[in-house]
Amino acid sequence: MSNARRIAGGLIDRDQRLSFSFNGEAMSGYAGDTLASALIANDRRLVARSFKYHRPRGIFTAGSEEPNALVQLRRGSRQEPNTRATVTELFEGLEATSQNHLGSLEHDLLAVNDLLAPFLSAGFYYKTFMWPAAFWEKFYEPIIRASAGLGRLSGEADPDHYDKGFLHCDVLIIGAGPAGLSAAVAAAEAGARVILADEDFLPGGRANAETCEVDGRPAAQWAAESAARLAALSNVRLMTRTSVYGAFDHGIYGALERKTDHLEESDGRPRQVLWRIYAKRAILCAGATERPIAFSNNDRPGIMLAGAVRAYANRWATVPGSRIAVFTNNDDGWRSATDLAALGVEISAVVDTRDITPPASVAGAAIAMGSRVTDTGGRKGLKFIRLADGRRIPADCLAVSGGWNPNVHLTCHQRGRPAWRDDIAAFVPGDELPPGMIVAGAANGTLTLGATLSDGWRAGNAALASLGISPRDIPRPVADDEPAAISAFWHVRDGRARAWLDLQNDVTVKDIRLAHQEGYRAVEHLKRYTTLGMATDQGKTANVGALAIMAECTGKSIPETGTTIFRPPYTPVPIAAFAGRSRGRDFRPTRLTPSHKWAEEQGAVFVEAGQWLRAQWFPRHGETHWRESVDREVNQTRSSVGICDVTTLGKIDIQGRDAADFINKIYCNNFASLAIGKVRYGLMLREDGIAMDDGTTARLAENHFVMTTTTANAVSVFRHMEFCRQCLWPDMDVHLISATEQWAQFAVAGPNSRALLQEIVDPDCDISNEGFPYMACGEITVCGGTSARLFRISFSGELAYEIAVPARYGDALVRALMSAGERFGVTAYGTEALGVMRIEKGHAAGNEINGQTTARNLGLGRMVSKQKDCIGNVLSERSQLDREDGLALMGFRPVDRAESLTAGAHFIAARRNPATENDEGWMSSVAYSPVLGHSIGLGFIARGRDREGEVVRAVDPVRNNDVDVEIISPHFIDPEGKRLRA
Amino acid sequence: MPDLALEPQSPLAGYDREFDGVTLNEVSGLALVSVAVPMGGRDRLASEIESVFGVTLPDVGSSSYSEKGKARVLGMQRDQVFIAFEYHGDDAATRIRDKLRDSGYCNDQSDSWAMLRIAGAGCRRALERICMLDLDPGSFAIGSVSRTTMEHLGVIILRDGLNSFLLLSPRSSARSFLHMVETSVINTT
Repeated sequence: MSNARRIAGGLIDRDQRLSFSFNGEAMSGYAGDTLASALIANDRRLVARSFKYHRPRGIFTAGSEEPNALVQLRRGSRQEPNTRATVTELFEGLEATSQNHLGSLEHDLLAVNDLLAPFLSAGFYYKTFMWPAAFWEKFYEPIIRASAGLGRLSGEADPDHYDKGFLHCDVLIIGAGPAGLSAAVAAAEAGARVILADEDFLPGGRANAETCEVDGRPAAQWAAESAARLAALSNVRLMTRTSVYGAFDHGIYGALERKTDHLEESDGRPRQVLWRIYAKRAILCAGATERPIAFSNNDRPGIMLAGAVRAYANRWATVPGSRIAVFTNNDDGWRSATDLAALGVEISAVVDTRDITPPASVAGAAIAMGSRVTDTGGRKGLKFIRLADGRRIPADCLAVSGGWNPNVHLTCHQRGRPAWRDDIAAFVPGDELPPGMIVAGAANGTLTLGATLSDGWRAGNAALASLGISPRDIPRPVADDEPAAISAFWHVRDGRARAWLDLQNDVTVKDIRLAHQEGYRAVEHLKRYTTLGMATDQGKTANVGALAIMAECTGKSIPETGTTIFRPPYTPVPIAAFAGRSRGRDFRPTRLTPSHKWAEEQGAVFVEAGQWLRAQWFPRHGETHWRESVDREVNQTRSSVGICDVTTLGKIDIQGRDAADFINKIYCNNFASLAIGKVRYGLMLREDGIAMDDGTTARLAENHFVMTTTTANAVSVFRHMEFCRQCLWPDMDVHLISATEQWAQFAVAGPNSRALLQEIVDPDCDISNEGFPYMACGEITVCGGTSARLFRISFSGELAYEIAVPARYGDALVRALMSAGERFGVTAYGTEALGVMRIEKGHAAGNEINGQTTARNLGLGRMVSKQKDCIGNVLSERSQLDREDGLALMGFRPVDRAESLTAGAHFIAARRNPATENDEGWMSSVAYSPVLGHSIGLGFIARGRDREGEVVRAVDPVRNNDVDVEIISPHFIDPEGKRLRA
Repeated sequence: MPDLALEPQSPLAGYDREFDGVTLNEVSGLALVSVAVPMGGRDRLASEIESVFGVTLPDVGSSSYSEKGKARVLGMQRDQVFIAFEYHGDDAATRIRDKLRDSGYCNDQSDSWAMLRIAGAGCRRALERICMLDLDPGSFAIGSVSRTTMEHLGVIILRDGLNSFLLLSPRSSARSFLHMVETSVINTT
């Protein structure tokens, strides 16, 4: 086929011929074509099968409201189902295939469904498939699932790139049709920052599809000139191929820009960009959507909306038939007839439901006023129509116009309700618009060109006025108003066959009546029961007609019947566009420790800790199991010295005259007395008395402290303290700033830790046990003058320090420490060994301070000072939190030392059933202790401190583990703390 | 003691790349010190800043470049400014504290941030893919500064030229930060 239905004129570029294929058949079109216009030009009428009945379907519209012509584009991993041919810009090499059929499009085996239609009425799936029950899961559901849906996904990863972004403007104009262009010129010429967005690739909207004139020249020419004029202004961003799909709070609009969908290849650039547009004002110029009239067999290929037929002829220079009939209830339908006749197309009939004088003369056409189309014929393409008087009129295309519905969708995205206007028989925007929104043009119910241009101009100036920008005194565009009278007519009653309302979901007039009969009369119920208005077109051509039928059934008016809530998106947005670039490794940011590169060089195995990647252990040659590495790291640290990057701990710099008092209120234990040059362990509670976080705080100067937090709570603790500072105690002179990133910090632990540090600490810094005792801190220099901070604190239970240098030196410091430690047999250790050692020592961590436990549970009850106030102090005294027989953190070891413990196991008293009523607590942390040579655990058990030596069961039904464990002190090693002070 | 002098490393290893209409490079050697305004001490700090740098204490969201002090003072929040100046040492906070004669609470932030400068005619087109702020010249004047987030990362953005922005983001996520900005440039040039 080669453009058999192409006519002269149009806005296509005949110098750019484009090859494409549909179902493997080679075809051609021109630049400026959509896939739909090119298919029509190639005389392709049957393009799809309907969803439920698999009825033959053709192109119905010329825009994003298309219910029928859904195709799969491209192939392989780029295959995209459910693409509307009417908005798919033709490109060289485009490959499209039809979807939703078994066998070929022409001979769809599932068309048998059409014969079963009496059993497949609205809500059939709620009533059938009930028996036998066993059939549901194995038989009915698989069949229904297989036949549901339209296109098919490729099943492969999407190879294209997507992006998102943020735009700002004074005035966002949604739609670049006559009203939008008019508004944009008014606003932009006055100097406002304007974004003009349109889903089409050619600005102009209906101006491109009509033969009207603006300012004395063809409307399409005026549109092109206006768009060029706007594009030349630096304060205007003209965004074609961009659908504004949602109106959100605070003047924010969502928009999808299709960057490369019209190209064969994206060339590595984002295919689509999802924009968040911040608009001070928005002018909705989204136009209107034509609606059909329901009559028997009104779904055949060749039956189209009249405005679409006219658009294909005027804009795309193609006609979808050689003998076209028109069925209308309004003057606009007649324009299709007169335009087509002027182009030399044979008009076989014009059928108008109104019994009036014909608004125009159409040469050669049978004119039937006050008549109706009662039936049609032609299985895979229209062949004739039958009128109410029984006449059979040959036609291979029927252009139907039931009037125009203003596209009010975005006006309703914040729960606004549209209002009904009898004079145009349509809903128009209601009183409650999204703040800052103005509606103009056809979207506002202004359906004639001259009035639309004026309305757009008015809206542009109204936006300017509300922004305090003076309008510019320039002439506004002017055009005549075309006849647009309408007499509402929804449904031809005198036909016996099914009359379709929603072509995409195969919802018929009968289905609406059935819904009414069965009590699904509320609009939202109607939608769910019949599937009316669902899927890609969201019922843009169907909803009002269906409401009219329901109104007829209920005896109410259409506005009394109401509408469903319009929600974003206005048109489909691919999930990939929502994801944007957040996929794969870059789904979220990754934080690396200062020693990361060095650790990588050592072959470290990393673990995610929030956004951080931390070295988990450092395997050495010959080690075949992670436990081997971890055991070695623990043993080497306990016997000599080990180094661990602890930069990830939160560090909060606290300064101010009231800093000490502030910290004293934050922590439950006393910090007011902390001496300069000393560190203290601190526990902070939530307001409700539950333990929140722990860490150490060092006093560097009278009014200067550095607090550490756990890695996980670094941000939440900072936020909590800012809240306290700003809201609870705003009169305190306290200032916080995060120093987490500033310092690279390493734990140096083990009996040789001091000796190692003495290798790098500059000689004038005394770090002897006497000069720098346990819990000392100070600012020192290392490696010949580099500033550093040293803290004598220990998480491992060994003689240990934490040394911090400015982060720029972190990589160098770990190398220096490892180099200096060679003679001590130093080892790097990761988070696993860190965890093993803290469990051996009995230190609580995130598993224990988990948001459920109190200081008393943790064995730290005496830290909650009653000599002062602190956050959580009062509520920690609630009777249930302060029970003598409450949970206590204890140590656990298996009676049979060869057995392994599991975290999450629950404690059950010996000889009791493992049931909830016998639950006495849980195991929070476990490890294999290479020092002790068996598994150990920390956990919470009722009255724990009174039960040392008792044997209970640690039952873990999830992992099928049931181990007898002995309750012991949580301090498995060095309970007296001698090593710390060595 | 063996020779273990520590060599500093910049977060982005000196990244420097030119694209069509956009340059993107790491800024190193820029010291950054936060100065908190003591309660009741605003006038004194303002006076010291004026004396040392010859600029007034900037409002939140704006900054002043001091020719006198070869430094930029950035208004970060109600009671906090940052002072940025070229300096390679690791005692920047001490220097500022001494210069301001202890009139503010100083904290060295020089190592906390990876710093990228994005410049050129296409820089805004790149930034609009990640930055939710309005960077139009009329809205974000030269010297404007703001804290914001980009792709889940905290970022301080400073407009330091006609078509030039300095971006600061936490050092630990420098790799993700660079990837984020670089991707935006690649996607728009």
